[in-house]
Amino acid sequence: MEKDEALTAPRQPAWNTEVLNCATEKVGNHFRNPNWDNSMDQSDPFESALSSMVSSPAASNVPVSGENVIMRELIGKLGNICNSGDASCYTTPLNSPPSFDFSMVNLLNRSTLTPFSADPGFAERAARFSCFGSGGNSGGFNDPLMDSFNLSGNQSINVNGSQSNKNSGSDKKNSGVLRSSSPENAESGVSKEESSVSQQIQSQNDSGTRKRKSTPRGKAKEIPSPAAVDAKVASENDESNSKRSRRDGAPAGNGNAKASNDGNEKQSKENSKPPKDYIHVRARRGQATDSHSLAERVRREKISERMKFLQDLVPGCNKVTGKAVMLDEIINYVQSLQSQVEFLSMKLATVNPRMDVNMEALLSKEMFESRGPLPHGVYSIDSSPAFPYGYQPQQGLPPLNNGIPNTTETPFSMKTQGFQLPSIDRFTDAHPQVGSMWEDDLQSIVQMGFAQNQPQSYQGSIPTGQVKMEL
Amino acid sequence: MNNPHHMNPRSLKSRFTTRFLRALTKIRAQKPISSSSPTEIFRRYRKIKVAADKSMAYSVRSRKTWSRAMLWKLRSRSHRRRPVKTKFRQSVMKNTKTTTTTGEDGVGFGVEASELRELVPGGEAMDLCNLLDETAHYIKCLTTQVQVMKKIADFYSL
Repeated sequence: MEKDEALTAPRQPAWNTEVLNCATEKVGNHFRNPNWDNSMDQSDPFESALSSMVSSPAASNVPVSGENVIMRELIGKLGNICNSGDASCYTTPLNSPPSFDFSMVNLLNRSTLTPFSADPGFAERAARFSCFGSGGNSGGFNDPLMDSFNLSGNQSINVNGSQSNKNSGSDKKNSGVLRSSSPENAESGVSKEESSVSQQIQSQNDSGTRKRKSTPRGKAKEIPSPAAVDAKVASENDESNSKRSRRDGAPAGNGNAKASNDGNEKQSKENSKPPKDYIHVRARRGQATDSHSLAERVRREKISERMKFLQDLVPGCNKVTGKAVMLDEIINYVQSLQSQVEFLSMKLATVNPRMDVNMEALLSKEMFESRGPLPHGVYSIDSSPAFPYGYQPQQGLPPLNNGIPNTTETPFSMKTQGFQLPSIDRFTDAHPQVGSMWEDDLQSIVQMGFAQNQPQSYQGSIPTGQVKMEL
Repeated sequence: MNNPHHMNPRSLKSRFTTRFLRALTKIRAQKPISSSSPTEIFRRYRKIKVAADKSMAYSVRSRKTWSRAMLWKLRSRSHRRRPVKTKFRQSVMKNTKTTTTTGEDGVGFGVEASELRELVPGGEAMDLCNLLDETAHYIKCLTTQVQVMKKIADFYSL
């Protein structure tokens, strides 16, 4: 890669000249009529179109200072096109043609940059040009140079508005491979190394077309707009690359990082990004890349992630390895929990507690259990059993109301202010009548505490408290 | 008098505790324990178990599939008022089996996954990924339930 990059720099002039020569030759010779549907005829209209197309993106970017400068930009942009696996492979037709045209224009030494005419027609022309370029590649192009160029381009910053440049560069690079009439093929092939370009192009094009809609959408827009600038292109390309990696689910993040790190070489491996997926996964090196296996991999990663989480939940599963064993452990644990619940409910059915005391105590106990045994004691039974329960609410209400908004415990704490129940032993002192009243009061207190009921409801429960609740 | 260590009133545990205690008192109010025969005890046990499940499901509401399935089961059971559990379950399973993704992603979970589906309410209609999610939440709720009930039982037996 570095070698390629080094090659590109010194080679630029040679490349430029070569491209120029080839371009001029190709224009006349390899120009394909079917692709060239425009009214433009061959060289002159082509040149004019090229110039117009070239000028539009270039206008915003760089003043036409010199051919070399433009060529360098082209090269960089071309590299960018090929660069990001996704971006370059799946550049829309709009992208490819403009780049091609751009380069052609430069080759033709056009310094005048006219604003871009946008687009669909331009794209068509560019596409044709790209085919043209691919056909011409086998001609006088320096293939090794182009390869190196391609590689270097791949690693260079991505192109943005210079989609056109990209396309042209990619086209040229797809020596022979991009014979397919579709410019997309040429584009996608660019990113690939030459040997694998053809196959990949074909396969990628199919998927690339799909992807093009999703990913290079932004880029496609860029092309028509003259605002496409090199810097922007680079940033966009980077963004698109990172976007793709970020879009992936967490499990696929590694794959993405790897893929992006590996660079263009892996582009060939990554054939498909399911366009319909919400999560975009990048295939890792050496892994199957059809959409089915990608989706499967995502699923598997999700499942393993959840299995790890379950491992933390189920005690004693840290040493267990393997999904089947893990699942067995989980099943056993769930079964044991369910049987525990059954056993406890049976126990609760048989136990004969003193409901009067227990309910409130239980509730407060539950509330305070985080702090261990009730430090405040159970508020259930009043230290002064003789104290009519009915009074409690009245006394406890104001503090209760204050306490209600705070927490669930405050109602109880407020309630017991007047009672000082230090310990749970007080329960035994409860009088049955008080106990029954406690029962209802507890219920109402609970309702008050949690629902912030009005005192009336609390009071209302007092009369009904007379009903003793047997345990 | 405010407690410095307030338990979150909206936590799962507190919600479940409130509901369950309420239901428990209701059950206990229905008949005195002292006069229970084994059948009575059994019936009460069933009621308490149902109350526990119901309280837990209501605490979770519809946020989870398993709670929805459990609530639906409880409601349909109370509506029908007849022992259609087996038939109901069969029909439910028949309907839901078709929706279950039979194609596992090659991890080979088949046997255990089906067992897990039977354990977790509403698990028949979930794919493995969601099933594991639901299982995790279900385990968390079950542990809460067990903790609370244990505390209550201990308290009562004091």
